[in-house]
Amino acid sequence: MANSRSTFTAPGGVLRWERMNGPVQIALDAMGGDHAPHEPVAAAALLSLESPQMQITLVGDSARIGELLEQMRHNPERISVVHASQSIGMAEKPGEALAAKPDNSLSVGAQLVARGEASALVSAGNTGAAVLACAKAFKLLPGVRRAALAAVYPTQRAHGPRSDPFSLLLDVGATVEANAEDLLAFAVMGSAYARVISSNPAPAVALLSNGSEAMKGPREVVRAHQLISAQPGLHFLGNVEGVDIPKGTADVVVCDGFTGNVVLKMLEGVGETVLGLARYAYKEKLLWRAGLAMLSGGLHRLKELTDWQQYGGAPVLGFDHLFIKAHGRSKAQAIANAVKVAGKAVSAGLTQSIAEGLAKAPSQLVHPGR
Amino acid sequence: MSSADQTVRHVYRWDLDKTYLRTEFDSLRDLVRTAFQKARDKVNVPGTAALMRELRANGVTPNRVCIISGSPRQMRSVLTEKLQLDGASFDELVLKPNLSNALRGRFKAVRDQLGYKLPALLESRSRTPASASETLFGDDAESDAYIYSLYADLISGKLDETTLFAVLEACGTYEDQASAAIEWLRRIEPAGTVGRIFIHLDRLTPPAHFRKYGPRLVPIYNYFQAALVLMADGQLGARSVVRVAREMISGYGYNLFSLANSLQDLLRRGLPVGQVGEALVQFISGEATLGHALRPAPDILAALARRVAALGAPPSPQPQPEIDYLAMLDEAMPKKRSPAEPGEEAAFDREGNG
Repeated sequence: MANSRSTFTAPGGVLRWERMNGPVQIALDAMGGDHAPHEPVAAAALLSLESPQMQITLVGDSARIGELLEQMRHNPERISVVHASQSIGMAEKPGEALAAKPDNSLSVGAQLVARGEASALVSAGNTGAAVLACAKAFKLLPGVRRAALAAVYPTQRAHGPRSDPFSLLLDVGATVEANAEDLLAFAVMGSAYARVISSNPAPAVALLSNGSEAMKGPREVVRAHQLISAQPGLHFLGNVEGVDIPKGTADVVVCDGFTGNVVLKMLEGVGETVLGLARYAYKEKLLWRAGLAMLSGGLHRLKELTDWQQYGGAPVLGFDHLFIKAHGRSKAQAIANAVKVAGKAVSAGLTQSIAEGLAKAPSQLVHPGR
Repeated sequence: MSSADQTVRHVYRWDLDKTYLRTEFDSLRDLVRTAFQKARDKVNVPGTAALMRELRANGVTPNRVCIISGSPRQMRSVLTEKLQLDGASFDELVLKPNLSNALRGRFKAVRDQLGYKLPALLESRSRTPASASETLFGDDAESDAYIYSLYADLISGKLDETTLFAVLEACGTYEDQASAAIEWLRRIEPAGTVGRIFIHLDRLTPPAHFRKYGPRLVPIYNYFQAALVLMADGQLGARSVVRVAREMISGYGYNLFSLANSLQDLLRRGLPVGQVGEALVQFISGEATLGHALRPAPDILAALARRVAALGAPPSPQPQPEIDYLAMLDEAMPKKRSPAEPGEEAAFDREGNG
C-alpha cells in the first residue's frame, strides 16, 4: 500500500518535501497520561491490528512496555520500542523537569521525529513539557514566531463536506500572549488543518473578539483583523463573539492562548455540568426520569458529540514536524484516535500545506526578523 | 526402535494447517472450500516454504522432515503436490483418519487432537535414533503448545507413562489411541531432546499465554522470527535467514520495518537474538545482490541495527519450568474434556483402567 512519509529539510530557506513509499511511522509517548503506560501501549496494540498503514514507535521504559505488550493481542510487525529511561509526570514543572530528566520519553520521542525516524509525535502527557520538548527538537516554520495548540469542540452547526460536528479553536494554551502576526499565522495554520483533516476546501476562519465589527477588541486583535483580511487564500468571516463558538458560526476560530484556554475549559465545564444536572434530575423525580429516558437516544448522541475522546487530540501547529497532544485522561481508544489523526495529517501533507499557506502571507510573516 | 535411520541427527516436525498453510476452517463453508482447494490455490503462511527448504538443506543434517497434520487422509495427494510445488521435500506425511473415525461413529476422534497427534508423534519418534534432537512447528489454533510440550517431556524421560496415562484418561481419549500412545512410548529410549517448539500465532494469542511452557516454546508471529531463533541456536546461517526474509518481502508484502520490528519483538521477550541481528545486518550489507533484492535504502537497512540498540538491556532468559500437564489440561484443551458422547465408547472405565 503506498503511503507518504514526510520530512522537512530547509536548504537555502526552501522547504523540500520528501515522499517515500512505506507505512506512516508515528512516535507515541508510552509514559504520558494519567493511565500510562498501560493505555498508550494498549492504543499501539489496537492500532497494530486495525491500521496496517501505520507503524507505531512506543517511546518509554522498554522493559515495562515489553511486559504489557506480551499480555495484549497485537501485531508486533507494526510496533517498535525505543527505550527512554525517564518520564515526566503530569504535575511536574515543564522546564525544570526537562532539564532534570534529559532521557525523558517526550524528548526522546521528539528527537526521533526530528531525526526523521518517525513522522509525528503523539502524547497524552504533560502538555507544557511536551510543547517545550518539541520546541527544543523541532524548528518553527518560516513565518511562525510561536506554535499554537489547536482543539476541536462540538458545535450546533455541521462543518465541511463530511458535516463534521465540530470546529477548530486555536490557540488554546501554547502561546499565552499573541500579537497580530501570531494571530495571522494561527489563522493560516488552522485553515490548513481544517482543509487537510476535515477535507474542507475553504474553511471559514474567524477572529474571536468582543464584537463583530472590525474595530472591536484589543489593539492586537484589531491589527490581526486587518492582516487576516488581506491574507490571500483565506476565507475570513471577520470577528465572532463568544456566543458564536458553540453555534459553530466559523470552522476555525482564532484567538490568543490565554483566551482560548479559558474558552475551552468553559466549554468542557458546561458539558460536564449539563450531564451532572441530568444525573441529578434522573435521581430526583420519577417524572423527570421518564422524560430523560424518552430523551436517552438524543442524550446519548449528545454525549458522543461532546466526548473529547472521539476527536483525536489537539495538534500543535507551527513546527516543521507534527505533534498531537491527547487529553491527559485518555484511554486506549482516544489515544489511538489521536494517532490516526497524526497519520492522516502526515499522509495528507499537513505541514507542507501550512508552509505553503504561510509563504503567501505578508512579508513580515515570511521574514519574522523584519 | 524399529527401522531407524541411524545417521539422522535432527528431526523437523511440522503441522500443516495454520502452521505451514494459511488455512481457514472456522466455518463449514471454509472446511468445504479447503477440502476442494487445488494444490496451486493453497496459500503458505509467509516464509514457510523457504524455511522448510532451508532447514532441509542447510539446517542440522542429516535430518528428517516429518509432517503430522489434522487434515484428512483423502487430502494426501493434493497436500503432497502442494509441498512439491513449494520445493519442500519431506520424509513423512501423517494425516488423520477422519473418514474411518466417522464411519465407526467415533465423532469425538474427528475433533480430538491429543488422541490423534500424540500417538502419531510417539510412533514417528520410535523410528528415530535416540540421539536425534528435534524442532517442532505448530500453531495457536488448537492445542499444539500443550501436545508438543508433553511430547518433548515424554521423549526426554522427564515424564513417564504414569503421567501420560493420567493425561489421556483425563482427556477421555479412546482406549485404542491411549494404548497405542503408551505402547509407542515404551519403545522409545528416553534420551530425546526437543530444542525448540515454535508456535505460529495465527490468532495473535498474546505470547504471555504460553509463558507457562517455558523458554523452549517460542510463540512466533512470522517465520522470520523462527529463522532468527534458529540462527541464534546455531541451526541456520545468515544466508538462509535472508532467503526466508526475501520470500516474505517479495511474496507477502513484508518490508524491512516489519522484519526489524519482528526482531525487536523477540528481543523484548528475552530471546537471545541481538547478536544475530547484528550479524544479519553485516551479511546483508556485504551482499550487493541481496541488498538490491531487498530494495532497502541504506538508512532503512540500519533499522535492524537500530531496533536492537534502541531497546536498552534485554530481559534475562528464564529457566525451563516444571509443567503440571494435568493442571493445565482444562485451559489447554477446554473443549476436549467433555465426556464421550452418548453411544460412544469411552477410553477408560470409571476405575481408570485402560
